[in-house]
Amino acid sequence: MKPTEEINALLVKYWKGETSLEEEDSLTKYFTGRDVADELKPYTALFQYRENLRCATLSDDFDRKLKKAIQQKKRENDYITIRIFVPALRIAASVAVALSLSFGVYMMIGKNDKTYFAETYSDPNAAMEHATFALDKLSEALQKGEEASIESIQELNKVDLDWKMLDSITESDINYQKSTDSLPLENNL
Amino acid sequence: MNSDIFNKSVLPLKDKLYRLALSIVRNRTEAEDIVQDVFLKIWSKQDEWELIDNMEAYCYRSIKNLSFDRLESMAARSAEKYNAEMENMMFVDTKNPHSAFVEKEQIDIIYRCIEKLSENQKMVFQLREIEGMSYKDIAKSLNMSEELVKISLYRARKKIKELLEELNK
Repeated sequence: MKPTEEINALLVKYWKGETSLEEEDSLTKYFTGRDVADELKPYTALFQYRENLRCATLSDDFDRKLKKAIQQKKRENDYITIRIFVPALRIAASVAVALSLSFGVYMMIGKNDKTYFAETYSDPNAAMEHATFALDKLSEALQKGEEASIESIQELNKVDLDWKMLDSITESDINYQKSTDSLPLENNL
Repeated sequence: MNSDIFNKSVLPLKDKLYRLALSIVRNRTEAEDIVQDVFLKIWSKQDEWELIDNMEAYCYRSIKNLSFDRLESMAARSAEKYNAEMENMMFVDTKNPHSAFVEKEQIDIIYRCIEKLSENQKMVFQLREIEGMSYKDIAKSLNMSEELVKISLYRARKKIKELLEELNK
């Protein structure tokens, strides 16, 4: 045990804030012992407090509790994130549906709007030749049609018809004849 | 990466922070809750870690602020319950009832003295007396000059000496 004088000297330094950490530990050791001088006992509480609080540590399961709390916090944050993005996700889903519909409509219109006439010839002379050939064929077909019509008219002219009587036949008469299974119109001619 | 910073810079401070909280709220359960709350708060602000110059100082400041807030809410509770919780805070199980009683009396006395200190003085006093930190480390931890640490500690000790002498008259 340190003599009281030495402790007193250390205490003077201590109150002035001039003691080292080792000297402060010496004081704590003295004041938490059993042989504290009566005149120094008023200061015992200070060093007892110092000693007691230095021993205080967190409970053994603090780390486990903290880990659990952090995981809980993570889950809460994730939930909050999802909650925050729900309106955005709804908007995104709506946009996706609208885009899909628009794409479908575009594709349908695109098919209907396809080009019917397209330039397929690179050589103008070949194109002219094919076009002339096609027009000749068409002209030939029309010519045949015209000749057939003239022949028909000539055949009709040979038949002695009462044109006035034919003109008086109305549409209702023709329908009536069809419905009563009378002779076909062609046979009347 | 972030969890590494948390594990290396924040978690090792847990007992120091706990003792600081305990010295303010004087209740083990509350002090533990405070440390956990501060750790959770720090963990959830990972994107701000790079902006914090001194993580240790940030932790001490957070503990101090939350402890004083919690102390106010504790004071709002019934005085009877509050005192009952306080009674259990510092006792060591191996002590006999008489020495435990004496110890409790001494702790009550010192707490009455500490309550008279300013917040800065309390912080410096706790880090020096309980954590045994050097003036330089305290200055770094509390983001203040070493000179201010010395002055705060000197004033804190002087005030406690006067109060102890007055209480023991």
